Amino acid sequence: MSLELEAVSKGFEQPGGGRIQVLDNADLSIKTGQTLAVVGQSGSGKTTLLSLVAGLDRPDEGKIFLDGKDLAAMGQDRLARYRAKKIGIVFQQFHLMPHLTAWENVSLPLEIHKANSINERVDSMLERVGLWQRRNHLPGQLSGGECQRVAIARALVVRPSLLLADEPTGNLDTGTGEIVADLLFDLVESEGKSLVLVTHNPELAGRCQSICSIQKGRLV
Amino acid sequence: MLIWIRMAVREIKVNKGFSIFFVLNLAMGLAGFIGVQSFGRSLDRHLDKNLQEILTADLVLSASSPMAPEESALAATIMGRDVKRARLVAFYTMVRPGGSGDSNLQARLVRVMAIDKAYPLYGQFVMENNTLSPMIQKSPSLFMTRDTAHTLGVETDQRIPLRIGNKDFYVQDFFAEDPDKSLTAVDLAPKVYMGMDQLDGTGLIQFGSRIRYFYFYTFPQGTDVQALTRRLDSAFFDLSNGRPRINIFDTRDVNRQLGRVTEYFTGYLGLVGIVALFLAGLSGAYLFRGLVGLKQKEMAILSGLGAVSKEIYLFVSIQLVILGSLAAVLAVGISRLLLPAFPMIFKGLVPDGLIISMDPATVFLALGLGMGGSLVFCLPVFARLFTIRPGDLLQGINNGRGQNRGNASTALTMFAFLPGLIAFFLVSAIVAGSIKEGLIFALGFVVAMVLLSFTGSIVFQWCRYLSKRKMLGISGKIAFRNLFRNKWSSLSCFVTIAMGVFLISLIPQIQKGLASEIMRPEGLKLPVFFLVDIQDEQKNALEDFMAKQNGELSHISPMVRGRILKVNGHLFFDKSKRTGERNRPGRMGGRRLEFMFSYRKALADSETLVQGVPLTPTPWSFDDGIPFEISMAVSFADRHGFRIGDVLTFDVQGIPLEGKVKNLRKVRWNSFQPNFFMLFQDGVLNDAPKTHLGAVSNVPPDQRKILKNRLVDEFPNISVIDVTQTASTILGVTDRLSLSVRFMAWLAIGAGLVSIFSIARHEARKNRNQINLLKVLGCDFKTLQAVSLVEFGFIGFLASIFALALSMGFSLVISWYFFDSLWKFDSVYLFGILVSATGLCMVTGLAAARQVMKKRPLALLGKS
Repeated sequence: MSLELEAVSKGFEQPGGGRIQVLDNADLSIKTGQTLAVVGQSGSGKTTLLSLVAGLDRPDEGKIFLDGKDLAAMGQDRLARYRAKKIGIVFQQFHLMPHLTAWENVSLPLEIHKANSINERVDSMLERVGLWQRRNHLPGQLSGGECQRVAIARALVVRPSLLLADEPTGNLDTGTGEIVADLLFDLVESEGKSLVLVTHNPELAGRCQSICSIQKGRLV
Repeated sequence: MLIWIRMAVREIKVNKGFSIFFVLNLAMGLAGFIGVQSFGRSLDRHLDKNLQEILTADLVLSASSPMAPEESALAATIMGRDVKRARLVAFYTMVRPGGSGDSNLQARLVRVMAIDKAYPLYGQFVMENNTLSPMIQKSPSLFMTRDTAHTLGVETDQRIPLRIGNKDFYVQDFFAEDPDKSLTAVDLAPKVYMGMDQLDGTGLIQFGSRIRYFYFYTFPQGTDVQALTRRLDSAFFDLSNGRPRINIFDTRDVNRQLGRVTEYFTGYLGLVGIVALFLAGLSGAYLFRGLVGLKQKEMAILSGLGAVSKEIYLFVSIQLVILGSLAAVLAVGISRLLLPAFPMIFKGLVPDGLIISMDPATVFLALGLGMGGSLVFCLPVFARLFTIRPGDLLQGINNGRGQNRGNASTALTMFAFLPGLIAFFLVSAIVAGSIKEGLIFALGFVVAMVLLSFTGSIVFQWCRYLSKRKMLGISGKIAFRNLFRNKWSSLSCFVTIAMGVFLISLIPQIQKGLASEIMRPEGLKLPVFFLVDIQDEQKNALEDFMAKQNGELSHISPMVRGRILKVNGHLFFDKSKRTGERNRPGRMGGRRLEFMFSYRKALADSETLVQGVPLTPTPWSFDDGIPFEISMAVSFADRHGFRIGDVLTFDVQGIPLEGKVKNLRKVRWNSFQPNFFMLFQDGVLNDAPKTHLGAVSNVPPDQRKILKNRLVDEFPNISVIDVTQTASTILGVTDRLSLSVRFMAWLAIGAGLVSIFSIARHEARKNRNQINLLKVLGCDFKTLQAVSLVEFGFIGFLASIFALALSMGFSLVISWYFFDSLWKFDSVYLFGILVSATGLCMVTGLAAARQVMKKRPLALLGKS
């Protein structure tokens, strides 16, 4: 899997008028199996970059290629399908479906894609994140760390090429954060996934093969 | 697909509160509508099955005088030999219990049905003593109901003679059912049956008597009765040279006639039912909007996991379809409970033995409305499904970016209202049976909603300033701030309640004016009796007689029967224009064959000239060689398309006359004054053989019975109609109908209250953090309660005030347009509505919010 960003720019209209330029001619390239940490101050554009890479937002200018395909050229529905197959996302706030059990949350993307062997894949993934015993619990009955493990399982169960993680330990205490981070890196490494990790945490960033910082809209 | 069905079912289970309220709300809206539809369809089914029994024949001829030999011969030629015949002569007259002379028993108006041996051809009498109908042919005896006998005072003693005209009759037997199923909105008098041969000696068959002669026919199976009807129609038209005098009825006419009696009311009830449904739909949409607001994040997650928009719309639609179906099933159950009430409401207006049931078509209609209605009403909310995009999940949900998606989304939302409005118009048109009426109704409803929405938005804007008033205290401040900040939900609540109150107050407003007019017409002397069939030679004697009695004889109006032959040189009954359905005199909207003409020197108090100039006071003469002048009632002119200047040719007792419409006058028909469609210039009818119509007023209540008896003894042929009794009968019917309409309106309010409850509950849940914080900051339970009471009391009070004002305006317009400006302000009733609506809003709102208020702050913290 390869990810290429070519001269990507993105700005936003301000509510009171005016415009803020978040990304300005940003370039980036990631190869298969590579892990990259994106760091920067709050409001520097880290999350915007992640949204663009995930195909959740579109750049004002420039192109984003995932495995050679231009994300900006795809329609919403095609992009949704493509994203779901190729990209897994782990959110800082977990974003689990509250009324679905851990097992159901993990199975949901597979059901949407009408994938095969759903039961086996979900069971296996829950085993790997250590939540097999808790598979029938609702998110409200799980701890923060467990919720994030469910979210990681949900992101990886579709076997994506690229994993995007937005402050995956940001909502967790230090100890739990470390356990979750270990799990995340272990899984990425063992499955040979590419990872783009957005974080404020220097230690977490340090576990990636490369680190880039966003300064004045450019990737340094 | 299966995954989305599973997900939808799971959503419904998880959001039990929403699901229950949504279903309950929609079911209440649907129930009334389905009930009315079931009633209408049951009535149609009953009529279809029993048309011949109701008509008592396959075909009926009727005329105001016996058929001439050439007419009978013509009918016999067309109908052929293989035909069964029966005859009936019907008229109103007085019956005097105890025979002539003073008696304590009161004379009564009855409808005499003089029948021959063959009557009825279909149907039968159900007699207490199984007496056969030929029995009354041999002796002067009568069949009547026990109720009638009781009223006449002969129920227990059948030896008391009953004087009809100049002849004494005796009760032979009581019937529980009679074959005559003809229905009118108000029965002037009960029926009594006698043998046709016994008419001789009564002296009632004389000139000017309002008698109808009926000829019944049945044919062998397989006869094309409709074809026979057409041939008879055409033959009588030709025989009379385009001046037909014989009405021809077949089963189609029965259908129309009976349908007409109830269609107005079922149509109206249906329309109120639609409003209830529409209000329920609005509330449902609001509830759904609240749910979608809470679920936007989940939609974004689904989208983030690869679900495309189409699938998410499908997922949401499936939820709505399931909920709509559940609501329809519940509504069918509720309406089944309502159905037994319909025969009670329409007692006397619908045939006996009518079984009201729900047919599969109605159940399908309910399901269709439940499912389709849910989707159509919630369509505007679909635009909000993607307010939060998956990208927002990375940024935190409440960054505000998701709230402003630009004008395209707003335009889409506005556009999404269109299907709901179109559906509303279409269903209105179907129920009202007319595109025009459906459009007027739908537009009126939309105008009322727009006006209320506009007013409400100003009110809630104004709450901003109220919230800054220190004198209102902390509760008022918080309440008004909530109303202002949540102005869209406040507005939904306001509009729903206001529309319900609007409906509840509108109908009684109109009815009140009508009732006041019937019971005591403003500026008019309400007569006690109407005297009908006063012979010309009896007029002076009657005036002399009344001069000596307690009572005032007034408005003696001459009546001459005649026909309209031509209008501006064209035949009034134009054969060439008649289609296969024929322009039939007997059918609804068709033309009457005969009319009553009168003349008077000046307009009566109940009449107002609205167009043209008064008739020339100089008597018209045949020798003038110009058409005489006609004053025509506006309603009559509208119905037949007459205008000022139209020249009409009449046949008055064989003499052709030509008149010109000189003016149009508005007549207050509800005033119970003797009025006529057409008044001729003085001199035209003065010498024509005629009868008179008179009104008697100013009779003290204790003298009425005595006067009625004396009148009947002195003038046996004159029918005395008790106006007070008739007015009460009419009011009884309008009361029952009004009650049913009010019930439907309360159903609409019920739907509104369910929505208030759910809105209040939703708002309380949405604001649980605020409530929690207020508690933590030291707000006690009473203060929180006060906030809720002020919020919902304010909405209920203002919604009621504006709705009442609007309903007064609308009822004034409706009264002016339909009921000759009969309108009366009923302050007590309106005040009652205001207080009860406000109280109900406060109680409902508080009950809903209490659930959240009662929770401990810790529990709420856990959830937030």
